[in-house]
Amino acid sequence: MTRVPMERKVLNENELVAAELRADFARHGVFAVNLIGSPGSGKTALLERTLARFDAGRRVAVLTGDIQTDADAVRLARYGFPVRQISTAGACHLDARMVRRGLEGWDLAALDLLFIENVGNLVCPTSYDLGEAKKIVLLSVTEGEEKPLKYPGIFFKSELMVLSKVDLLPYVPFRVDDARANANVTHPGIEIIEVSCTTGSGIDSWLEWVDRQMSAVLPILSVL
Amino acid sequence: MHEVGIAASILDAVRIETARHAPARVVKVGVRIGQMAGIDRDSLAFSFEVLLPDSGLAPLELAVETGTADELEFCYLELEIP
Repeated sequence: MTRVPMERKVLNENELVAAELRADFARHGVFAVNLIGSPGSGKTALLERTLARFDAGRRVAVLTGDIQTDADAVRLARYGFPVRQISTAGACHLDARMVRRGLEGWDLAALDLLFIENVGNLVCPTSYDLGEAKKIVLLSVTEGEEKPLKYPGIFFKSELMVLSKVDLLPYVPFRVDDARANANVTHPGIEIIEVSCTTGSGIDSWLEWVDRQMSAVLPILSVL
Repeated sequence: MHEVGIAASILDAVRIETARHAPARVVKVGVRIGQMAGIDRDSLAFSFEVLLPDSGLAPLELAVETGTADELEFCYLELEIP
C-alpha cells in the first residue's frame, strides 16, 4: 500500500467558482454579504427594513435563496431595487454556481452592495463559500440562546451576529447576556447588533455596520 | 443534508485521482474536517456509503481526521499498486 498526499479542498469546484466571483466583485467594487440564519430568523425582514431605508439611487441588489417559491423576491422587489430569487429545488444551501447563475445579466459595475440571502439553515450554508466579503448570521430571540454552541460553525465564520426580534424579549425566555456569551465562546470578539424589524430598533446600527464594512473592505478589494 | 454533496465531491475527486494514478487503485481516502466546518461526520459517512456502490470506486474506505477550525480538505490517498 502506498500513501500519497493530496492537498486540496474537498469542495474544490465550489472554491474555484467562489474565487472567480470574489475576483469579479473586487474588480467592480461590489461589497457582497452572505446572510445566514434559521428559517424564520428574520433575514428577509432585515432586508426589507434595509432596502426601505435606502434612497432610490443606492446601487444595491439582492439574491435571495429558497428551496421553493419566489415569495421572498416578491417581498423584496417592492422596494425598487434589483432582486432575483434563486430556487435551489431541494438543496439546503446556496453554492457558488447558483450565485453565478443568479447574477447572469446583471451589470456588476452598476452595483456597490450585494446582499445574498441564503437558504434558511444554520448548518449547510456554512460549508459553501459564495465569494462574499462577509458572512453574517442572524439569531432570533425565539430560537434559544444556546444556538451559537449547538451550531458553532456558522458563528465561527461570521463577522457579525444580528440578534433579531428583540421586541419579543418580554414574551420569550431568552437571556441576551447568555446568547452574547455563547457567541463569544464560539467566536471571540464577534460583533453583535440587536435589532427589531418590527419597531426598527437597532436598524441604524446595522446600516452603520454595513457602511463601515464597505468603507473598510472596498479599498482593499480594489487593489487585489 | 449537504453531506451528500460533500460525499459526492469526495468521490468525484477520487475518480480523477484514480485515473491519474492508473493502474494503481485508490483503496482509502483521508479527509480532514474541522470542528467548525458544520459537517456531521456520521451523516457524511452514511452519504458516502450510499453513493459508493454506484461510483465504480468500491471498495473504498473514507478516513476522517478532525481539525481544529473549519477545514474541509483532503489529506491523502492510499493506493494499491498491482
